[in-house]
Order: sequence, then structure tokens, then C-alpha cells
Amino acid sequence: MKNAVRDESFRFVEYSADAAERIGYSNYSYWRAVFQNFMKKRSAVVMAFVFFAIVIFTFIATAIGKFQYDELRTSMMEKFTSPNSEYWFGTDNLGRDYWCQVWYATQVSIRLALVVAIGECVAGIIIGCVWGYVRWLDRPLTELYNILGNIPTVIYMTLIALMVGQSFLIMAVSLIAFGWLGMARNVRNLVMMYRDREYNLASRCLGTPVRRVLVKNIFPYLISVVILRMALSIPSTIATETTLSYLGLGLDVNTPSLGLLLRNARNYFVNYPYLLVFPAVIVSLITVTFYLVGNAFSDAADPRNHV
Amino acid sequence: MMKYTVKRLLQSVLTVLIIVTAVFLLLRMLPTDYFFTEEELVKLSDQAKEDRLAAAGLKDPLGVQLVRFYGELIRGDLGTSRRIQAGVAVTEIMASKFGISMRMGLASLGVSLVLGIALGIVQTLNKDRLLDHLGTAYIIFVNAVPGLVSYSLILMFGARVLHLPSLYSVNESLRTSILPVACLALGSIASYALWTRRYMVDELNKDYIRLARVKGMSSRSIMLKHVLKNAFVPMIAYIPASVLLTIGGSLLVERFFSVPGMGPLLTDAIGRYDTSVVQACVIVYAGLGILGVFLGDVMMMLFDPRIKLVEGGESR
Repeated sequence: MKNAVRDESFRFVEYSADAAERIGYSNYSYWRAVFQNFMKKRSAVVMAFVFFAIVIFTFIATAIGKFQYDELRTSMMEKFTSPNSEYWFGTDNLGRDYWCQVWYATQVSIRLALVVAIGECVAGIIIGCVWGYVRWLDRPLTELYNILGNIPTVIYMTLIALMVGQSFLIMAVSLIAFGWLGMARNVRNLVMMYRDREYNLASRCLGTPVRRVLVKNIFPYLISVVILRMALSIPSTIATETTLSYLGLGLDVNTPSLGLLLRNARNYFVNYPYLLVFPAVIVSLITVTFYLVGNAFSDAADPRNHV
Repeated sequence: MMKYTVKRLLQSVLTVLIIVTAVFLLLRMLPTDYFFTEEELVKLSDQAKEDRLAAAGLKDPLGVQLVRFYGELIRGDLGTSRRIQAGVAVTEIMASKFGISMRMGLASLGVSLVLGIALGIVQTLNKDRLLDHLGTAYIIFVNAVPGLVSYSLILMFGARVLHLPSLYSVNESLRTSILPVACLALGSIASYALWTRRYMVDELNKDYIRLARVKGMSSRSIMLKHVLKNAFVPMIAYIPASVLLTIGGSLLVERFFSVPGMGPLLTDAIGRYDTSVVQACVIVYAGLGILGVFLGDVMMMLFDPRIKLVEGGESR
């Protein structure tokens, strides 16, 4: 009888997620606060609107154009036609409709940039968390980072283009394969900064699983940095793609991309400025708006700016 | 400090060695056909090819080849080119190219240091006013828009409005260098302006500036004597790396304007499987990159007045 009472009064407290949340700040939702902060910046909201409008329009534009990309034919009679009602953006040096080439290329660039940004992000966060949290892995991963990061990307890309081939998939995979470095480094530094804070020590003492410490205690601090890097990664991926395609190391010749368009136009746009102006304006709008939106969103996502 | 420097230097050398070895092994995985020039490939019989490969030591085990490679490297022999300029020593090819890249790079570095820092100062002086916002808009534009697009815009402006030639030529190098230098400077002006502004604003918010104001110093002398001087210290770290990297040239700009510099050499060499040129380029680039970071750290230590104080044995 006495033993039974003692057992009842002194039982182990099991970990329960509900109980852990109960003393938290009740009426606070992280993402709602992010959204509210973001909406306060009128200019960023307008920029976001412009960006999405262009992205959606790339799909509409290819549909409403009078020509389809895969049905384009060359006609020397009509080369360098200035923009008119038949050819909305004019024609290029081979007499092909420029409107559908420009929009199709923009679409390809955006798709590649999104895939690469998300891929980099996922790989970077996972590797960065492990790198920052597991102490014995720090040295080997730092060495790996130094070695991979010190070889110019062009060397990798050239080797890959020659040995594996050129296509959308290969390009996306290889850009991710060498693009996670920056993100992982950033995440690792932050994880190391917050790993040994007192509240994490407390969490560990209370038996919180590592996964929960990472996701609930550390990750919110990472979100703003992660979003910022992702936002910067989209313009920079578009830039890398144009550079590599211009050098003949990027996408294959049959996939129109911005770099390829500019490469074809390189010798003509001094005399036919519309060949440069249309793609340049579209790409600048996309990259600049995204850059600004990303910056604003990352400010809004920083929990230190909340409450 | 000495101990730290030596340790860092050794680490850097080790990293370069690992990179060079990795690239060496990668290149040995390529088919051996690339050992021959295009002409030889057609003419020689299979037996003759085997003999030539064996004579050049390419049939030896990888370890032996690696040791021999490092032996030659120590003697400064980087091998001879097979494809790009058949039979010419790699060091000779590079010597003819890096001068052009470096001259152009240094010109753009000078331009961007002067303009970038000036822009940063103007922005700080007009903080949160029109000029500051214009400068920020320029920086955002340069950072966000792909380099190729802005180079194209510069080229179009230069060719249509200023009537400058759109391709580099050795005979008229001064006039044809203007556009490439402008393209090279475009990005660095933005980053120097960004850092100058950021460090100056940081300095301005510090307590000693408030003290100087209270003492009645003029804003002008506060700016020149305190803010600019202190803001410049962290920027010094980037300068040696920037000077060194000019040797490497810029791949995109040099290709865009057909400049016969170092930039396109590496991709050309890889594209034509000229292994010894690739190897030499990798050594140069990896060495430059790592040396740049190292020198930057050393400069920081030398220029930071607090470290000097400790060295001089003075106490505060």
C-alpha cells in the first residue's frame, strides 16, 4: 500500500509535445507575423506582384504568340524585321520570330533558377545542420568545403559539359551539386552560434529530441538567412546560366535560353537594338524585382523583428 | 601572430596541393587520344601511338606519374601544350597572355576603387536622400541583372553613342580597351560603394564620433580624419586579392570582347583536351585564389591599429 502511493507521487514525466507548447506565447503564429510584416512594405508588395505577373505572363505569352518555338522556320527574306503586328518582337538574324524565342527562353531560365534555388536550399540546409550540429564532422566538412570552393565553377562545368553532356537536367543537377556550399556554410555558422545557447541546453536537459531542437529552436533563426540566400540565388542562377550558355557550356543548343539568345545577337544588336532591348528589359525586371522582394521578405522573416 | 601566419600559409599550400592532385587524377581519366595533335591522331599507327605514350611515361602507374609531375613542377616546368599551340611551353603561352589580362584588370581596379569609394562617400554624406537612393538603385541593378545583359547594354551604348569599337584589337589596344575595362569595373564599383557606405555608416554610429562632435570638430574633418580612415581598414583586406585576381582575367568579359587574355584559356584548353595547359591554369587559379585570401588576412593584421599597439609594447 505504502509503496503504491510512493510510485504514484514520483512517476517519470514523459516528454509530451503539447505540454512543451503550453507555456509558449499563445497568440503568436510565426508565419502570420512574417506575412503581416511583409505586407507593411508597400513597395515590396508591388514588386512581388510585378514579379508574379511576369512569371505568369511568360506562360501566356508563349500561348498567345503567333508562332510556336518548335515550329519556327528560318527565312532569309524576313531577317531583321523590326517589331510589327506580325512579329511582335521582330525577327532575328535567321528570320525567326523573336517574341516566342524571348518568352520561351525566359521561361526556361526561370524554371532552371527555381529548381536550382530549391535544390541548393534543401541540400544546403540538411548538410549545414549536420555540419554545424555534429562536432566531429566539422573538420572533414570544412576541408571538403575549402577544396570544392576553391576550384572555379567554370572548371567543373566545362568538365561536366564535355564528359556527361548538356541538358536541362544535367545543368540543374551540376549547379546544385556545387551551389550548396554557400548555403551550407551560412547555415553551419548559424547553427553553431545557436547550438549552445542556454535555452537549447535547457531543452537538451529536459530530454527534447535533437530533431525538435533543430526544427523548433534553431530553424526560426535560419529562415530569414535561408530566404535571403534563396532570393539571391535566383538572380545569380539566371546570371550563371547566361554566362555558361554564352560560353557554350550551358544548356544544349536546341533549348533556347537567355545566354544563347544574347550569343546569337552579339554581333547584330548594335545595328538592331530591339534584339537586345526586349530580353534585357524582361530579365532585368525579373531579377531586380525578385532581388528586392527577397530582401524585404527576409527582413520580415527575421523573428527578431517580430512582436 | 607569426605562428598563426605560418600555420595559415602551410594550410594554404596543403589545400593547393590537394586541388592540383585531384585535377591531375581527373585529367588522367580522359582518353589518351588527346595526347596527340589532331594531325598525329590521323597519321600514326596504333603501335606508334602506344610507343609514343610509353615514351612520354603515360603508361606508368599513376603514382609514378604523379611523383614525376611534382618533380617537374618544382623545377618550374609546366609541360608543353599539345593542342592550343602545339609544342610551345605552357609557361610561354601564359606569359604572352597574362600581361594583357593584368593590364586590363589593374586599369579597372583603379577606376573602380576611385569611383566606388567616391560613390560610397557621396551616399554616406547624403544618407537617406535622393543621391543615396540612386546609388543603391545602381548597386541593386548591378547585383541582380546578369553580367552578360549589362555588358551587352554597355556595348550597345558604347558602340552606338560613343562610336567605340566593339572588339578588342592588339594594334589599337588603348581605344578598344575602354569598353572591356568599363564592363570589368561595373561590378566592382558597386561592391566598393556598398562596403564603403556600410563601414562609414557603422563608424558614424560609434561613440567616439559623438565625442568628436561634442568637442566641436567640423563634420568635414570628422569624415576625413576618423570615419573614412577607419572605414577603409576592413576594405584593405580585399585589395591584394583583387590585384592578384587580375592576372586570371575575366572569362566572360574577355570572351565577349575577344580579348586574347588568360580568361578564356582554361575553358579553351579543357574544350580541346590540352591537359598540360589545363593543369597549369588550375595551379595558377587555385594558387591565386588561396594566396589572395591569405594576403588579405595578413594585410588586415598589419593595418589594424590595435594589433600594432600590442606589437609596439605600448599599453593603453
